[in-house]
Amino acid sequence: MKHTFKGGIHPYEGKNLTEDKDIKEFRPKGDMVYPVSQHIGAPAKPLVKKGDQVLVGQLIAEAGGFVSAGIHSSVSGTVKAIESRLTSAGTKVNSIVIENDGEFRSVEFEPDDTPLAELTRETVIEKIKAAGIVGMGGAGFPTHVKLSPKDLSAIDHIIVNASECEPYLTSDYRRLMEQPDEVIEGLRIVLAIFPGAKGIIAIEDNKPEAIRSLKEKLAGDERISVHSMKTKYPEGAERQLIYANTGRLINSGMLPADAGCIVHNVDTIHAIYDAVRLGKPLTSRVVTVTGDAIMEPANFLVPIGSSTQELIEAAGGFLNPPEKLISGGPMMGKAIYDTSIPITKGSSAVLALTKDEVAEYEEGPCIRCGKCIEVCPGRVMPEHLANLALQGDFEAFQKYNGMECCECGCCSYVCPAKRHLTQIIAGTRKEILAKRKK
Amino acid sequence: MDEQMNLKISASPHVRSKDTTSDIMFDVVLALAPATAFGLYLFGWYAALLVAVCILSCVGFEALFQKLMGKKVTVGDFSAVVTGLLLALNLPPKLPIWMAVVGSAFAIIVVKQLFGGLGQNFMNPALAARCFLILSFARYMTDFYYDGVATATPLAVLKQSGQVESLRSMFLGHTAGTIGETSVAALLIGAIYLLARRIINFRIPVFYIGTFAAAITIYGFAKGYDVPVFLAAHLCGGGLMLGAWFMATDYVTSPITSKGKIIYGIFLGLLTFVLRIFGPSAEGVSYSIIIGNLIVPLIERVTVPKAFGAGMGKKEEKPVEAKEEEKEEAKEAPAEKARADVKGVLLAVLAISVITVLMGSILGVMHEVTKDPIASVEKDAKEEAYKEVFPDAGGIIPMDEAGTAEQAQEYLDQVNTTLHDIKGFKTAAVTEIAFACESPAGTKQNKVLGYVVLVTNKGYGGDMQLAVGVSSKGEVKGISFLSINETAGLGMKANTDAFKDQFKGKTVDAFKFTKTGSTAENEIDALSGATITTTAVTDAVNAAVACVNLLGGGN
Repeated sequence: MKHTFKGGIHPYEGKNLTEDKDIKEFRPKGDMVYPVSQHIGAPAKPLVKKGDQVLVGQLIAEAGGFVSAGIHSSVSGTVKAIESRLTSAGTKVNSIVIENDGEFRSVEFEPDDTPLAELTRETVIEKIKAAGIVGMGGAGFPTHVKLSPKDLSAIDHIIVNASECEPYLTSDYRRLMEQPDEVIEGLRIVLAIFPGAKGIIAIEDNKPEAIRSLKEKLAGDERISVHSMKTKYPEGAERQLIYANTGRLINSGMLPADAGCIVHNVDTIHAIYDAVRLGKPLTSRVVTVTGDAIMEPANFLVPIGSSTQELIEAAGGFLNPPEKLISGGPMMGKAIYDTSIPITKGSSAVLALTKDEVAEYEEGPCIRCGKCIEVCPGRVMPEHLANLALQGDFEAFQKYNGMECCECGCCSYVCPAKRHLTQIIAGTRKEILAKRKK
Repeated sequence: MDEQMNLKISASPHVRSKDTTSDIMFDVVLALAPATAFGLYLFGWYAALLVAVCILSCVGFEALFQKLMGKKVTVGDFSAVVTGLLLALNLPPKLPIWMAVVGSAFAIIVVKQLFGGLGQNFMNPALAARCFLILSFARYMTDFYYDGVATATPLAVLKQSGQVESLRSMFLGHTAGTIGETSVAALLIGAIYLLARRIINFRIPVFYIGTFAAAITIYGFAKGYDVPVFLAAHLCGGGLMLGAWFMATDYVTSPITSKGKIIYGIFLGLLTFVLRIFGPSAEGVSYSIIIGNLIVPLIERVTVPKAFGAGMGKKEEKPVEAKEEEKEEAKEAPAEKARADVKGVLLAVLAISVITVLMGSILGVMHEVTKDPIASVEKDAKEEAYKEVFPDAGGIIPMDEAGTAEQAQEYLDQVNTTLHDIKGFKTAAVTEIAFACESPAGTKQNKVLGYVVLVTNKGYGGDMQLAVGVSSKGEVKGISFLSINETAGLGMKANTDAFKDQFKGKTVDAFKFTKTGSTAENEIDALSGATITTTAVTDAVNAAVACVNLLGGGN
């Protein structure tokens, strides 16, 4: 039986634009921008000041607390400024700006080939923390925190989220195709600190090549299995992913660890490999630059902090003028209006579309077709929640499980009346969460 | 590059499926195409005209109403087309055009737009309009034809006589019925299309038809019927297939939750069973669905799906507690809130009152305006009937015109008492007696040739009223119906010359009916499949004869 969940949608995949394109190393020339908040938790504290010289891999901002992550320079050059800069979220965040000297002079990294069996939990966590690794699927939860659950023995599954269910994105797929050994080694390192856990690499079945090659490499490995999942959005949503692979259900108030699981994105696992085996901090990631407005869609290994503008130019610039630019995938990515924003640890893609499907349609009245309920992976009633949200009835909104929404966007996608369901619900969720925090 | 770019910003998701509301509506129209085509083939150009009129007037009324209300005209969403088409498919094939227009206006303006337009109506507009038309124009709405001949629907025949028409023609649709309901085959083709395109979910129709079939099977066994045939006739007959696949599945008026759809289907199945078997009419689908529509909010309330991971984990998140300041705000708020509530309630009451008064006034004015013409038409019809049943008379003078109204009433009471208490008539009653005279009223020394007796009696479909002419010698001169509301194609055949003429020219004490072919003078051939109607008519004529005998005429 295929691993999957109930609900979901099948949007146009668009992966054919870049799925066969090898990862190209991208060398930025212009200024680099490092927002101090590229993760969930406290912002990092800058360690440099204007005029300082920095090298590749140098820590330029340290973790601002336990739930936080440090930031390293990805180029060599001079600190130009520490100022507010626009990010993909649409907000201005304090950022370290470095003038890139184009030489990419690096600090020295210390490789470590301690056998897996001899790796200690403390060293691994310390190295991951020092490397500033955060969840690279987008959420940006600091990895060392994720790997330090309250009850270590309760963790029995380490899941590598290679579903890459967002349309257009191929960065994880290319990593798996080009550096499968590193990814597997990364997973083995995590498994080494969770002796009671099994590893799962979960991949959607629209990537048969990756499934086959990984299965070949892992033949005979009893601790790691490769799961082929049904291709469906949002197969990679954390809670749905856990359910699809283990049959365990968790609600919005729980952590994956409550179901004995820890979930990591492919690039995160790769970063763990880099940190533990090569001693390299997180300074780059794979970014898919794609969409029908891009001249030469491609996958790039991008130094974090690079400007989106430069990256688009590296992909040949625009073939057609785009109507919409998105940081991330089309389902959960963020629309951006300024190409100066930097690539951060969570940027998986830059998507340029010649047509904005959202603006193309006008919102109509709900005809109660029930499609939103059918596709909702959270099994809530989006049309009802949206109505309650618009009425401002927060109490009923929570009673009807509004907080269980994961904002995946399926309801908005499928709605024939083109109602902005996700947006309405997400807005109300944020308001309620803000009130809870107060 | 930046200056040239005109980038749009919106919240995720940034892609949308291609399906739109109008696509769905269009798919429904497409799915109804086979049934529509068959209906037009079966019932001819007039049915086509009805379909066109319904669609055009639904679209027209929607556009007109929205324009008048200063709203955006949304006829482009095709929903009015669907309503118009569904309404037409639910109409008998020879309904007067203006009634179809009235039905369309009711569907669009009253049921849909007054409640807020698309997505807000609490009842299926097409079905509500159909039921409105049945209540308003019962005779026209139950007037069915097949091959140009007035015929009862198979379901009506089944209910009244227990006879089952050819199942093959019922499945294929070669029977009487509304324009779109006859062909099960054509409707199923459309249903499969809707299922395949995932426009409708199987739950409502399958549970609806399944529950109905189960109830019919149990009932059939209990009654000792030939269950397979009885069941097949009920499944293929009437509006079940049209209703279950195309009307009960209407998004707006059916439950949105999966469990709700199942409950709704079962409810409709049971209700249709009860209405068809125990109700006054042979049909039950339309009423079941609009009654079902009313309980949809309730069904949805109790079938909210369990959220992903609900009930997992130790601590459930508590709903947001009102913070201190809010609590304070809340303390001040009640008075204001209560005032707002009262205001809202008052406004609603006022609005409803205004609408009621307005509608009442319109009805009152209509009544006033039409009262006299209706009375005069009725009088003319009566006079016509009187002449028809006593053609030899030169003048017919009602008893109350010959004497006083009080005298006439007193006399009538006496006659009816005698008829009931002594002659043993149960339901037949004389309501008027008129003298059939040689010369017109006002002539001196007028000779009484006989009487015209107006009798009412209970038929199968309610009261019937007929005029019976009886000569002084007791010879029945003729009978004529002033009102009759029997089953089309069965009881309604009483109102044919072939049947009525059987009484003519006979001088007997009492008529009897037979099902085996009349041999004696006083025997009448019963209408097949309408024993109750035949009894009612025969009884009424006998009452008239008895009345004339009491008056001193006859033998």
